[in-house]
Amino acid sequence: MSDTVHMQAKEALRRGSSSYRRLPLTSGQILLGLGLFMLALMIVVTVLAPVIAPFDPSMTSASSLAAPSSQHWLGTDSIGRDVLSRLIVGGRTTLLITGVAVFLALAAGLVLGLLSGYVGGIVDDVIMRLLDVIFAFPVFLLAIAVVAGLGPSVPNLILTIAIVYTPAMARVVRGPVLSVKQWDHVEAARSVGVSELRIVTRHVLPMVVSPIVVATSLTLAQTIFTITALSFLGLGPPPPDPNWGGMLAEARQFMELAPLTVIAPAGAIVFATLTFIVLANGLREVLDVGSVG
Amino acid sequence: MKRMILARLVWTAAILLGVSFVAFMLVRALPGDFAQAAAGAQNVAPEVLEAARRDLGIDRPLLEQYLIWLGQAARGDFGNSFVTRQPVLGELLPRFIVTFQLTLIAGIIAMAMGVATGLASARLRGRADWIVRIYNGCILAVPNFIVATLIVLIVGLYFPQIAIFNYTPFFTDPLANVSGLLLPALSLALAVSVTISENTRAAVLEVSGQDFVMVARAKGLLPRTVLTNYLMRNAMTPIVTVTGLQVATLLGGSILVETIFAIPGMGQYLFDSITGRDYPVIQAIVLLASAVVVLVNMLVDIAYARIDARAQT
Repeated sequence: MSDTVHMQAKEALRRGSSSYRRLPLTSGQILLGLGLFMLALMIVVTVLAPVIAPFDPSMTSASSLAAPSSQHWLGTDSIGRDVLSRLIVGGRTTLLITGVAVFLALAAGLVLGLLSGYVGGIVDDVIMRLLDVIFAFPVFLLAIAVVAGLGPSVPNLILTIAIVYTPAMARVVRGPVLSVKQWDHVEAARSVGVSELRIVTRHVLPMVVSPIVVATSLTLAQTIFTITALSFLGLGPPPPDPNWGGMLAEARQFMELAPLTVIAPAGAIVFATLTFIVLANGLREVLDVGSVG
Repeated sequence: MKRMILARLVWTAAILLGVSFVAFMLVRALPGDFAQAAAGAQNVAPEVLEAARRDLGIDRPLLEQYLIWLGQAARGDFGNSFVTRQPVLGELLPRFIVTFQLTLIAGIIAMAMGVATGLASARLRGRADWIVRIYNGCILAVPNFIVATLIVLIVGLYFPQIAIFNYTPFFTDPLANVSGLLLPALSLALAVSVTISENTRAAVLEVSGQDFVMVARAKGLLPRTVLTNYLMRNAMTPIVTVTGLQVATLLGGSILVETIFAIPGMGQYLFDSITGRDYPVIQAIVLLASAVVVLVNMLVDIAYARIDARAQT
């Protein structure tokens, strides 16, 4: 009996290893793959920015608002700077702020969410009520007020974004923790005397990773919006370093003469946002997470 | 029900108090004070600055300033603008109405588009579902200020006969006023319509699977009747809730869209005030916008409980 099964399995392996591989990809896997590819592309361009940018992004030239040419692939802006180089280097500032800020919001959200969800009681009440107050502000309005208060600089922008998105992150973490902490394996771990810290990190946290990953990806998409919108209003990283939102704002004045100066940064912002949305949707399906807050 | 409403009211009041405190502190964290900002680059004698501070009331302890400000704000007195010396409320109100109008039109457009695409997606399934979902994903990736900029660019390049930058007050010419707000409202509405669309799709799919819908079909009711009286009626609750919760997004986005389309609303006012360090104006706008969001959320909660008996716990 076991021999036949064994033979069948062997036969199946020999004959069907290729047919196994031909299993159709799910839509989630396709999205995830696409998202990862776009992300990799963005990271490569960002890391190699100084190497691949054809010109110094701040170098002006006599040919202002030039049409695309073999030398300036995307033309030049109003004071003759190469648009492509500014786009590549500007992505650095924008994505750096986005990445670091969301990481901070995630870290703060994890600590607050775990504390709130796992400890519960008065700690939960105090943390959630305080976060509710921040949550009551329209995100973008709060970001404007904070960044205007602190003054627009890269560290301040990072801090602002982190403050603004922490409450949402904490909520995403807290929800699943509330139910996971009542599961049997947590009870079992506690009954054999595992320390609370270890329970949280080893038995609760791994169970809530999926929704957090999806929420992080969505937050990254929203952060690209917030950061470029702030820069668009003149509250972004100070000049002369290029950034996408600032490029868009500068180019508006002459956009009918050189539409590419507007379309290029707009395209870059859309591409970056789309990357994280595609990634979030792929992750959601692959990790089988319901809708996240 | 009464208990629930009362609890919500108390809770809303508490949140508003917290919000007002944060709004006050945020603005006071602005570097450099107004007396200095008003003096600009000139060298002003310290005594003059001191006198200006005393005059504006910004030399007192913070908590005292907050309580004074709160007491007056509760009576609708947001103080005088540091720049124009006029009462803030009088300057803010007409601008708030413009923003409100823009938000309202955007909300209506977003709701119409969202419900239509969401319904198509849920009812037609298959290819239509895929097209709508891909379209939604792509639209979500285009921020409202980019939509607005591109609209201005396209109109400028290809439809120069359309004047987009002349805002007409409502009472001068209501029709011109509303039609002038259509393009700004559209750029504001697109991203919001995606959220509504996705929620409509989910709500309709969920209701479609319920027994009472099957019963209605089994009775032989017309598909039309089933759709309007059974499906939509029950799916409307989550849709309305989600739309209400998008008010914050609309208000935030209107700051950008107003700046781009040169609409004299609250967003533009806020932007000017931040540049001019006009504390009372910034405080009033942040407080007003947040209060609107908090109140709308409260109304949505109460309405939800009123419609859906299951949520009354």
